[in-house]
Amino acid sequence: MSKSRAAVLNIAKYTMADVARQKSFLVILAVSVLFVFLARGCYHGNYMVNGRELEAAAVVGMVSKMTFQVIAALAMMVAALLSMRVFKRDRDEGMQACIFSKPITRRQYLFGKVFGLWLLSSFLMFALHAAVFVTVLLELHAAVPSYLGASLLCTVNLLFAVISVCFFSLMMPDVAAFLLSMGIGVTSFLMDGVFAISYSPMARAMMKGWGIPEELTGWKIVYYLWPKIFGSQRFAAMFIHGERPGCDEMYPFLNIVIWCVAAGALLLWRFRKEEIS
Amino acid sequence: MVAVDHVSFSVQRGESFALLGPNGAGKTTIVKMLLDFTPPTAGTLTINGISSKQAASRASVGYLAENCRIPPHLTGWRYLLRCAELLNIRNDEAVEQCRRIVEKIGMQGREHAEASTYSKGMLQRFGLGAALVGNPQLLILDEPTAGLDPIGIREIRQILEELKNQGTTIFLNSHWLSEVEKICDHAAIIHRGRLLVKDKISSLVREGDTLEDVFIRYVKG
Repeated sequence: MSKSRAAVLNIAKYTMADVARQKSFLVILAVSVLFVFLARGCYHGNYMVNGRELEAAAVVGMVSKMTFQVIAALAMMVAALLSMRVFKRDRDEGMQACIFSKPITRRQYLFGKVFGLWLLSSFLMFALHAAVFVTVLLELHAAVPSYLGASLLCTVNLLFAVISVCFFSLMMPDVAAFLLSMGIGVTSFLMDGVFAISYSPMARAMMKGWGIPEELTGWKIVYYLWPKIFGSQRFAAMFIHGERPGCDEMYPFLNIVIWCVAAGALLLWRFRKEEIS
Repeated sequence: MVAVDHVSFSVQRGESFALLGPNGAGKTTIVKMLLDFTPPTAGTLTINGISSKQAASRASVGYLAENCRIPPHLTGWRYLLRCAELLNIRNDEAVEQCRRIVEKIGMQGREHAEASTYSKGMLQRFGLGAALVGNPQLLILDEPTAGLDPIGIREIRQILEELKNQGTTIFLNSHWLSEVEKICDHAAIIHRGRLLVKDKISSLVREGDTLEDVFIRYVKG
């Protein structure tokens, strides 16, 4: 193994070990396990609409999809929470000085930190998704292997959360960095909603009535360029029931990949200026 | 604010060099620039001919920070092992090296306790231990005796003397002039970011004087 790769892996290993023993991580883990345990109940009940019992397969499909989305969103929050103090902790506990007095570059350090945080949060999300997968398998004797594949696709959102929080935490208090990253996620969700609504016949009629032009070019540019966290999650969820995504559905995923690269480059540029103490 | 201005000096291989100066003189800034912790706005620093901006310049450097800190949940032993891993030292060799270092810094029996239970002096010893991992050719020590009791100071001095005899280059930042006089053979005095003098300690100290007298004479002008 090359020295560079060994350094990155070592730093990733230390990051995971240090974060996983934090009380906050253990609390998050306990809450997540409780959530999955409670979600189990959804697979036991009978669902009635207008006095007619719903088909179990349809209910299971819907519940599994919803659980998938909730877990993916929670995991993103967890990734952001775990990332927000990672530099500050290393600085306060003397690990940065220790690491950078060795022949380790800032790039190797950053890669190790981001990789460790991403791996840990991805593992947590995958474990929770796997718990739902096993529940469906045991309760309903139905295996949905694409559920786990979709979970892996969602890890790109976690990478974005980790990188963005790390980047913001270099310029503002940790909590503000967390809130700003979450704000990007929430805005992405709201924008998707507003965009979908704006294409409904009713909304179009209203816009016409108010004299608002139908093609809002500036707004569309912002919409398409904004990190499409929710869209990327929806893209991953499509695989659960074997839906074939088109180019429109694939775009959010590519958008997040590009954002990860751009945010990573910004993080590297900003961290190069950082004073080590 | 200018912390260091027009400072230029070199330290030869095998030298024991002390960088002296009052508080705020720019000693720690020089050390930080040497390790690329702080980028200089102008000028260059090299270690073994390699620019300090390149990580390779730190390949054979050991560093002890002023007020050394160790993650509180780590044991001293794990901390040393991490340092060895970061230098790509093979596992069995790392264990053997760490065992020797623990012995050298006089921390046998306490190496498996968590750092949160260590006193300031013990942290400083493990910090020195971490600097010794990988048998560095150059040891950069920023106030190595800070927080140590007189016995600890003497033990650190003995370790440094031993390293000096083995040919390790020592770069020492310290206020403890009596210790500097015993350990180092060269010294530089800086004040308000400017280099006042750099010479052999034997040349700086006149008969009947101490290094403290020399230091005060230069700093007070």
